Amino acid sequence: MERSDPRDASPDIVAEGAPGVADREDVVRARAGDTRAFERIYRRHVPRVYGLTRRMMGQEWADELTQDVFVRAWEKLGTFRGEAAFGTWLYRLAINVVLTRRAWLGTQRRRLDDQEDTLGSVPARPAMTDLGMDFETAMERLPEGAREVFVLHDVEGYKHEEIAGMLGVTSGTTKAQLHRARMMLRRHLEA
Amino acid sequence: MTDAWTDRLSDYLDGDLDHRDREALDAHLPGCAACTETLAALGTVVARARRLSERSPATDLWPGIAARLESTRGPLRLRTPRFGGWRVSFTVLQLAAAALALVLLSSGTMWLALRRHAAAPTIGTTPTTGTAPATTSPAGPDGAVADFGFARYDAAVADLERVLAQHRSELDPATVRVIEDNLRIIDRATAEARKALAADPANPYLNGHLADQMRRKVELLRQATALIHA
Repeated sequence: MERSDPRDASPDIVAEGAPGVADREDVVRARAGDTRAFERIYRRHVPRVYGLTRRMMGQEWADELTQDVFVRAWEKLGTFRGEAAFGTWLYRLAINVVLTRRAWLGTQRRRLDDQEDTLGSVPARPAMTDLGMDFETAMERLPEGAREVFVLHDVEGYKHEEIAGMLGVTSGTTKAQLHRARMMLRRHLEA
Repeated sequence: MTDAWTDRLSDYLDGDLDHRDREALDAHLPGCAACTETLAALGTVVARARRLSERSPATDLWPGIAARLESTRGPLRLRTPRFGGWRVSFTVLQLAAAALALVLLSSGTMWLALRRHAAAPTIGTTPTTGTAPATTSPAGPDGAVADFGFARYDAAVADLERVLAQHRSELDPATVRVIEDNLRIIDRATAEARKALAADPANPYLNGHLADQMRRKVELLRQATALIHA
């Protein structure tokens, strides 16, 4: 079931703007094998897909995972039914690709463990402070479980129940992880 | 400073508290400076997250994607059985003949590739230091052995690990822990890929994955040693 994009103010297809209309036209062409149409789709959506993969998995994986997402989207275009905006479908697929990769890496089982406060604890040198660290870097240094819930909830706009479903945990766990992430980031902002 | 309400502040902020708890926290906040301050800070974090801007990758990823689309099943070929209004169909005999042709073609290609590989060792596989592992070398997309040979890889890893070991005490213990955790993850993924390759040596995905892991390990070690020299 395709859901509306949590970041869309007006997820209704009727109300979608020019990018949504362009998407629909290009999806039809891309389904027929038109790679130029698919490239236009890529250009429109790569910033957000790249942002998602980078924030969920870190810089070192972002390029490769972004490519994987678009290749997977190309393969699965036939399953897009147009019930919601194409972007909604694509970002959900991107999350699936990220979570699948995480499982492959064997980090899934470590995802929600209770590590010590990782944020700010990995300076290059013992005496080095992270006062210059930007918000994105601070997010990357969150423990995995807290980071992915924070990205999905506060950045991507998914609800706790949806995130719990994606991650296979309870919404109580996602709420606890979200609060943990915010508290860590709050300390960063106060620094 | 924390109190019983601190851990509920995110729920409060998101409107996830039930009516009774919300009223109780509403009554608590005016008299608790710590909770009021924390709530404001959490609100700032949320607002900051919502204002994050997207940015494109530093390099254009489309050429790589386009190359992969060439070798993958496209949506048309996967989903549409009709061409020009005519349904394409084959008899069982035709399909059997096509399958046989494919088998012969694949076998011939593999035989040629193996013959070529045996005749001409790939650059980078000549042992310099260390011993090459007794497993399949990762192959590139065209079936040729990747230019990143095992011996060269082992030598590079050994050098970097030696530098890291010598200067380990200069790094923050937390940093060392993060590096070692990541190295363990990469080593585990490498071991799994090698194990899988032993059962399916020609699998291009596994070969590519193994090569990726090897590159990742070298890159991580390079970054770690760069921290030492920073």
